[in-house]
Amino acid sequence: MRNILTLAANVIKDAGRRKFFYIVFLFGLAVVALSPLLPSFDIGVKAQFLKDVSLSLTSIFGVILAVILSVWQIPVERDRRTVQNILSKPVSRLQYYIGKYLGILAVLAMILFVMGLEVMLLVGIRAHDFSGNIFQGVFAVFLETAVIAAFCLMLSTFLTVPINVFATILFYMLSHVKTGFLHQNLVEGVHGVARIVTWPLYYLIPNLENFNLSLQVGYGNGVTWSIMARITGYAALFAGLFCLIGYLVFRRADL
Amino acid sequence: MADPALTLNQIKKSYRTGFKRTRSLAVDELSINVPAGQIFGLLGPNGAGKTTTIKILLGVVFPDSGGGTILGRPLGDRASHRKLGFLPEQPYFYTFLTAEKGLKLYGKFFGLDGRELADRSAELLDMVGLARGSHLTLDKYSKGMLQRFGIAQALVNDPELVILDEPSSGLDPVGQKEVRDLLVHLKDQGKTIMLSSHQLSEVENICDSVSIINRGRCVREGRLSELLDVKGLRRITVSGTDPESADQLSEIAENRKQEDGRTVFEVREEMTFRALEVVRFSGLGLVSVEPQRRRLEDLFMEAVKETSN
Repeated sequence: MRNILTLAANVIKDAGRRKFFYIVFLFGLAVVALSPLLPSFDIGVKAQFLKDVSLSLTSIFGVILAVILSVWQIPVERDRRTVQNILSKPVSRLQYYIGKYLGILAVLAMILFVMGLEVMLLVGIRAHDFSGNIFQGVFAVFLETAVIAAFCLMLSTFLTVPINVFATILFYMLSHVKTGFLHQNLVEGVHGVARIVTWPLYYLIPNLENFNLSLQVGYGNGVTWSIMARITGYAALFAGLFCLIGYLVFRRADL
Repeated sequence: MADPALTLNQIKKSYRTGFKRTRSLAVDELSINVPAGQIFGLLGPNGAGKTTTIKILLGVVFPDSGGGTILGRPLGDRASHRKLGFLPEQPYFYTFLTAEKGLKLYGKFFGLDGRELADRSAELLDMVGLARGSHLTLDKYSKGMLQRFGIAQALVNDPELVILDEPSSGLDPVGQKEVRDLLVHLKDQGKTIMLSSHQLSEVENICDSVSIINRGRCVREGRLSELLDVKGLRRITVSGTDPESADQLSEIAENRKQEDGRTVFEVREEMTFRALEVVRFSGLGLVSVEPQRRRLEDLFMEAVKETSN
């Protein structure tokens, strides 16, 4: 456990010095802060609208940061060969892989917490709504980024960075249209042998819309704890699956 | 005889390369035996398979076949890495860390912490001459300084076995001498050292045994003294001038040459005492009698040429 935490802490330190990472982070904060300038802000319910838009923007920037953080971790260490020196110590590949992933999750948690605070302050100041249910939405965004990061880290064990970015974006888009477009084309519209092939594919892709709580948080009365527990389990299942596949590839890779 | 610190048995490793993914053999049935408590040199030209061999030892690359042991444990067993130190060929470190923080990071992997780790880091940085620059991040370091840091991090766990890939790379002559002295000091402490180097004079000076590999195969191996010893020949070095005696010695000797103002006679082993009798009653001064040795460079070139053709 100690090795895992040491490696995770190192990921946090590494992220803390990357300028590009800060630029995207600050840009995300700025965009969220500027969301009240949208033309539709003055029409109707300010607080709900702000929560909805801010959470959606937080989600987009969270996903971008998750990809930036995950896509480089292993390929850069392979290219610079820092991984060789780490693995010459009593560090197993499993510890290395989990350490990297937990480090990414820690950075994402910190960033999303700051963005959540910003959204809460924004909604409080502009719409006089200081309810903390915005953090339920932010937590759901964190779960979504955790799944994206696990997927991206898994691909990084065998794909080049540009192809990985493309594949992860594709995965993100498909995962958001799973119940609609994907269901119609992979399950309903396919029969016979083709269906045997497309069915597992359909179930291997998570439904990332499950983590989109912006409407419930914005216009509803918040989200029940049972829903929160369910989406947490759902995220853990897919993140765990992707981490397992990624580790199995990494375990036998020549570095 | 003590158990070997490290063994490789019939290791084979190939890589797939190019568009057609054809297999290219990097290590071909390589066997190595590194006796405990010795300095062992792994030699070979570029592309001979030295780095792949080291990667296999570290568990970074998996062999296609064959096996081996590190400190009595099978290859890939992480427990043996607790007593292992490694210096990579290039400075492969997290350059955003300072030397002090870098050492602490690596030390934590060995269970070191707190005061113990801080003291160990300070001691090592002082030993490699980086105490003054310990607050600088590694990206500000010169190649020589990174190499010194590399040596420090390889020793953070006070290892039993140290594997060094080109330890003198990037170091100035003073640094090279310091590294040589350090390696001898480590050997005196009972540690086993395996080093890969292109600096043959360095290897000749400090190594007890070597393995020369070429095209992935071991082409010479053994104790350096035995490998460099020219069987049956002794080297008698004399000073002064006595043409008559010198001519007498020349008749006995196989070869005669001048070196640094002295005369060297290479005589067959059984003729040694006869030659010494001539020296005894001559006006020549006896400087030394020693086994005739080749230079490691000559042995290396011979071994590589033989197997390259």
